[in-house]
Amino acid sequence: MTSAATVGDLVSQPYKYGFVTDIETEKIAKGLSEDVVRLISAKKEEPAFLLDFRLRAYRQWLQMEEPDWAAIGHPSIDYQNIIYYAAPKQQIKKASLDEVDPKLLETFEKLGIPLSEQKRLSNVAVDAVFDSVSIATTYKEKLAEHGVIFCSISEAVKDHAELIESYLGSVVPSNDNYFSALNSAVFSDGSFVFIPKGVTCPMDLSTYFRINSGDTGQFERTLIVAEEGASVSYLEGCTAPMFDTNQLHAAVVELIVLEDASIKYSTVQNWYAGDEKGVGGIYNFVTKRGHCRGDRSHISWTQVETGSAITWKYPSCVLQGADSVGEFYSVALTNNRQQADTGSKMIHVGPRTRSTIVSKGISAGHSSNSYRGLVQMGPKAVGARNYSQCDSMLIGDQAAANTYPYIRSQQPDASIEHEASTCRISADQLFYLQSRGIGFEEAVSMMVSGFCRDVFNQLPLEFAAEADKLLALKLEGSVG
Amino acid sequence: MIRPDAPVLLEICDLRASVEEQPILKGVNLTIRAGEIHAVMGRNGSGKSTLSKVLAGHPAYRVTAGSVHYRGEDLLALLPEQRARIGLFLGFQYPVEIPGVSNLEFLRVATNARRQEQGLEELDTFAFEDLVRERLKVVQMDPAFLERSVNEGFSGGEKKRNEILQMALLDPLVAILDETDSGLDIDALRIVAGGVNHLASADNATLLITHYQRLLDVITPDYVHVMAAGQILRTGGKELALELEESGYDWVDAELERLEASAPEGLATAQASRTPAEVG
Amino acid sequence: MVTIPVGELRVQSRSLAGEAWLSELFSSLPVLAGSAWLAGQQQRARQALAGESLPSRRQEAWRFTDASAITAIPAHRLERLAAPAALPAPAAQVLRLVLDGHGDPLEGLALPEGLERLDPAVVEELCGEALDANGAAASWPVQLNGALAHQVLALRVSQPLPIVLELVSDTGDAAGVLGLRLLLVLDPGASLEVLEVHRARGASLTSVVLEARLGPGARLRHGLLAQGQPPQPAAAADELPSSAGAAPVLLHHLAVVQDPASELQLTAAVSGWGLARLEPMVVQRSGAAFTRLRGLQRVDGRQVVDTHSRVLFAGPDGRLDQVHKALADGAGRSVFNGAVIVPRQAQRTDAAQLSRSLLLSDRARIDTKPELEIVADDVKCAHGATVSRLQQDELFYLQSRGIAADQAARLLLRGFCEEVLAELPTPSALWQPLALLMGEEPAP
Repeated sequence: MTSAATVGDLVSQPYKYGFVTDIETEKIAKGLSEDVVRLISAKKEEPAFLLDFRLRAYRQWLQMEEPDWAAIGHPSIDYQNIIYYAAPKQQIKKASLDEVDPKLLETFEKLGIPLSEQKRLSNVAVDAVFDSVSIATTYKEKLAEHGVIFCSISEAVKDHAELIESYLGSVVPSNDNYFSALNSAVFSDGSFVFIPKGVTCPMDLSTYFRINSGDTGQFERTLIVAEEGASVSYLEGCTAPMFDTNQLHAAVVELIVLEDASIKYSTVQNWYAGDEKGVGGIYNFVTKRGHCRGDRSHISWTQVETGSAITWKYPSCVLQGADSVGEFYSVALTNNRQQADTGSKMIHVGPRTRSTIVSKGISAGHSSNSYRGLVQMGPKAVGARNYSQCDSMLIGDQAAANTYPYIRSQQPDASIEHEASTCRISADQLFYLQSRGIGFEEAVSMMVSGFCRDVFNQLPLEFAAEADKLLALKLEGSVG
Repeated sequence: MIRPDAPVLLEICDLRASVEEQPILKGVNLTIRAGEIHAVMGRNGSGKSTLSKVLAGHPAYRVTAGSVHYRGEDLLALLPEQRARIGLFLGFQYPVEIPGVSNLEFLRVATNARRQEQGLEELDTFAFEDLVRERLKVVQMDPAFLERSVNEGFSGGEKKRNEILQMALLDPLVAILDETDSGLDIDALRIVAGGVNHLASADNATLLITHYQRLLDVITPDYVHVMAAGQILRTGGKELALELEESGYDWVDAELERLEASAPEGLATAQASRTPAEVG
Repeated sequence: MVTIPVGELRVQSRSLAGEAWLSELFSSLPVLAGSAWLAGQQQRARQALAGESLPSRRQEAWRFTDASAITAIPAHRLERLAAPAALPAPAAQVLRLVLDGHGDPLEGLALPEGLERLDPAVVEELCGEALDANGAAASWPVQLNGALAHQVLALRVSQPLPIVLELVSDTGDAAGVLGLRLLLVLDPGASLEVLEVHRARGASLTSVVLEARLGPGARLRHGLLAQGQPPQPAAAADELPSSAGAAPVLLHHLAVVQDPASELQLTAAVSGWGLARLEPMVVQRSGAAFTRLRGLQRVDGRQVVDTHSRVLFAGPDGRLDQVHKALADGAGRSVFNGAVIVPRQAQRTDAAQLSRSLLLSDRARIDTKPELEIVADDVKCAHGATVSRLQQDELFYLQSRGIAADQAARLLLRGFCEEVLAELPTPSALWQPLALLMGEEPAP
C-alpha cells in the first residue's frame, strides 16, 4: 500500500471530555435499600405521592431479574457497590447563575455548553445536570412568557406536582423492566418540559448530562408533555470523565403527545466508552418511550450513539391516536470493545398510524453492534404502515454487526416492510476517491457520513455538524 | 500534435510491477510530451490496465523496479491523492459506486483539492455549481446526476460520462483513459470522445488504453503502442492501429516467440505470467 | 423489551402436563434389541429429556410458538400401519420408500447403481455429525426423535442418480407418535433428488430428523411436502378416544453439512397441521458452497406453523439465496425465524434472505424475525421482510379485466404459492401440492 495510513489507523482519538472536575461533593453511603430510597426522597423534599411511587418501584425491582437477552456481555453489576446520590456541595438550585459555583460553570463551558448570560447559546435553552442534580437552566423566564415549563424534574415536583403526579410513569410503568424499576426507585434529577395547548416552543430545549463522580450511578428521569397542537424540539447530550471502573447509567425518558402535537427528541450520546482494552466506561441502560395519545400526534427520535462501554436502548413509540406518526433515526458507532444493542419499537395501536425506522450501525475494532427492533401491528391498526431500514457498515474483520428485527402483525390491512443490508468501505472505493485528489481521512469520513446521511438530515443543524465531527473522531485509526 | 521541443510530462523507464507476487509489468518504457495523444493497445492480460493503475498509485500493485517521472518529479513516491492533485487523472474502466456520498459534493471536494494545489481559490457551493453546470455540457450530462450518489445506479454510459466530467473539472495535464470506450453504444462513444477531444490541448497529454480501433476513429492518436506480456512491443503512428485492426494480434505471438528465443530469460517468465490474475 | 404476557400458572400446569406426557411416552416404548449403538443413542436422548417438559415460550426459540398441542397426541408409539391407502402411483423414474417406523423400507428392493445402504459402522460414525455441526443436537425436537427412533434409514449416493427418491410417511387417521430418522451421504460429485412427503389426518405426531452430508461438488435437491389435514369429523364419536379430534403435529428437523462446490436446494411446502415446526439448518463447513432455500407455509383455523431456519458459513465464498413465504388465514399463527451467521472466516459471503407474508384474516397472526450475525467485513448480506395483505393494485388490475374479486384474489394467492411449489422436484405434481395447500378438494 502506498499510503502510510490505513483506514485502521484512523479510528482512535483520545476522549476529550475525560477530565474530572475537582469539586466538593455530598454523597450518601454506597448501597441500595428502602432506607436509601427514603433518604433520596427526603433530601429532595418530595411530596408523599412520589415517595410512594419510589417505594413501590423499589419493591417491584427486588422481585425482578436483570435481563439477559441482549447481545451484550459484562461482569455482573453489584448494585450495593453504587452510590445512588451525589451532589455538588451547595444549595441545590441557586436563584441566579451568579451564585452557582464557578467551577461548575467552567466545567460546562469546557464541554462546549456555556451557561452564563453573556455566553449562553442563543436559541437553545439548556438544563445542565451535574451528577445527581440540575445546576442551572437557561432562558426559563423567556420560555415562561409562552407558558412553556422547562426546569429540572426536582423543581417540577415542587412547583407542578399535579402534572408530575398525572404523567410520571404513565408511559413507562415502573415495572416495565428491571432498569426502569431501578430508575423509578432512585432517580435523581433530569428535565421536565411542558408545552401547553397550541404553543410552538420558541426555541430548542436541551439537557446536558455530566457524570463527574467515579462511583456514582446516574439515574435521570425526563418527562416531556406536549398538549394539543403543541410542538417542541428537544436535544440531549452526555459526557463523563474517564475512570477505569464501569459506571451505571439507567435513565428513563417519557414523552406524551396529545392531539396534533409533536415532539422531536434528539440525542448525541458520548459517554466515556472505556479504553481500547475495554476497561472502564459507562453502562448505558436506558428506557425511552413516547406515547402518541392524540390523533395526528407525532414523535420523532433521532440518536447518535458513539459513547458508552455498553448501550442498551430502544427508543419506542406507542402509536395510539389515529393517524399518529412515529419515527426513529439512529446512528450507532462502536469501536474497540464497545457493545451496543439498540433499536426501536413501534407499537401500532390506532388506525392509519405510520412509522419509519432508519438505523445505521457502524462496527469497528473488536466491538459488537446489534440492531434489535420490534414492529407490531395490533388488531385495530387498520391501514397502518411501517417501513424499516437497517444498514450496517463493518470496518475490519473483528467487529460484529447483528440484526434482529421482530415483526408481528395481527391486522391484514396493515403493511410492514423491512430491509437490511451490510457494506464496508472497500479499498476500491477509497482508491477511487483518492485518485480524484481526496485525502485518505477525508475519503473515509465522506463515506461514513454518506452512510449516515439519512439520519444526520434529521438532526437540528448545529447538532448535525457536531455529530459528523464526532463520528470522524471516533473512527480515527479503525479503518484499514 | 507532435512537437519534439514540447516539455516532457511523463517519463516511464523500465517499469516493473507485480500484483500478489505475480509480475505483470516487465520493463515498460514510454515518454509522453505535452500536446501528444498516445494509444496503448493490446489483448486482455497484456498489462495495459495494470500500467494505468500503477501510474495512479493503486495499492494492490507493487512496483518492483524502474521509475516514473511526472514533470521531473518522482511520481511513485506520491500518494494517489497527491498524484491527482498535481494533474494526473485516471479514467476508470469500471468506476465504483459509492452509496451515500453525493456526486456533487464529491466533485466539489475533488475540484477544490486540485485547485488548492494549482494555487487557485477554493470554490464555494454556489460558484462550484456554476462551474459544474457549464462543464456538464462537455459530456451532455443531465444535471440530475449531480444529486445522486457517486455512480450509484448509473448505467455504463453514464458512469463514463461522469468520468469525463471529472476530467473536465480537474483539468489534468496527463489524462489516462482506461478502456473508456468499453460498454458504450455509438452515441455515447461519440459524446465521450467529443469530451476528450474538447479537453485536449497543446499543454496537456492523453494516454488512451483500448482494445479496439473504434475509439481511435474518433480520437486520433499521435502514437500507437502495442503492449504484450508486460512490455511495449512496438510503437508506431495511427496506421499501426489500423494494421492491428486488419491483421489482428497473431503477429504479436510470433514476435514474442522470436524475442523469447533471443532473450530466453526475460520473456520466458513474461509468457508464463499471462494469467487471469491480471486485472483488466 | 416487549414482554409477552404468559400466565405463570398456566405455564406451570402445562409443563407438568408435558413432563407427564413424555414419561408416559417413554414408558410405552419397547426396549430396543439389536443395535447396542442405537439403544445407547436412545437412552442418552431419554435421559436428556428426563425431568424436562415441552419447549417453553420463555425460550427465545419457542417464544412465538405454543407447543402444548403436543400433549393432545396420545403418548404412545404409533402401531405398525397397514399400507397407507390412496397414495398416488409413483411416477416413472421414482424410487418410493414408505416409512412407518417399523419395517425396513429397503427390504426386498433392488437399489439402482450408485445408491446403497450405508455400512452400519459408517452410520454409527456419521449419524449425529450434521446435527453437531449445526449446533442442533440439543434441540428439543431432535432429542425427542432420538428418544423415539428405532432405526436409521441411511443411504449413500456415489454418483449422479437419474431417479427421484421418494420418502413417504402417511399416518392416516391413526393416533400416536411416529419417529423417523434418516441419513443421506452424497459422495464427491454425486447428485440426488429427494421428495419427502409426510401426511397425517389423525391425532398423530410425526417426528423426522434428516441429516445430509454433501461431499465436494455434490448436489442435493430436496423437496418437503408436509401435507397435514384437519381431523375428519368422527362418524361414531363414542367409539373413538377423546384425543381423536386433535389435529396432527409435525416436528421436522433437517441438518445439512455442505463441502465446497456443493449445491443444496431445499424447498418446503407445509400446511394442514395443528402444529408444525420445521428446522432446516445448513452449515457450509468450509464455505464456497451454494445453498438455496425456499419455504411456503399456510395456516388456517387454529393451526400453527413455525419455521426456524439457520445457515452458518464456516468458510469463505459461500452463497445463500433464501425466500420464505407465509399465508395466514382463519385464526392461524405463522412464525418464521431465519438466522444467517457469517463469522470472521467467511469473507466474501453473499447471502440474501427475503421473507414475504400475507395476512388474510384479522384473527390470524404473523411473527417474522430475520436474524443476521456478521463478523466479516467483505461480505454481501441483505435481508428483507414484508407483511401485508394482497396488493390492492394487483387485485384491481385483475378486476378491471373483468375477473371477480374473489377469483382475482385466488389467482394472486396461487401465483404467490406457485413460485415456491415450482421448485419442488418434478414428481411432486402427483401429490397435488397446490390444492392441498390451499385446502381445496384435491382433483380425483
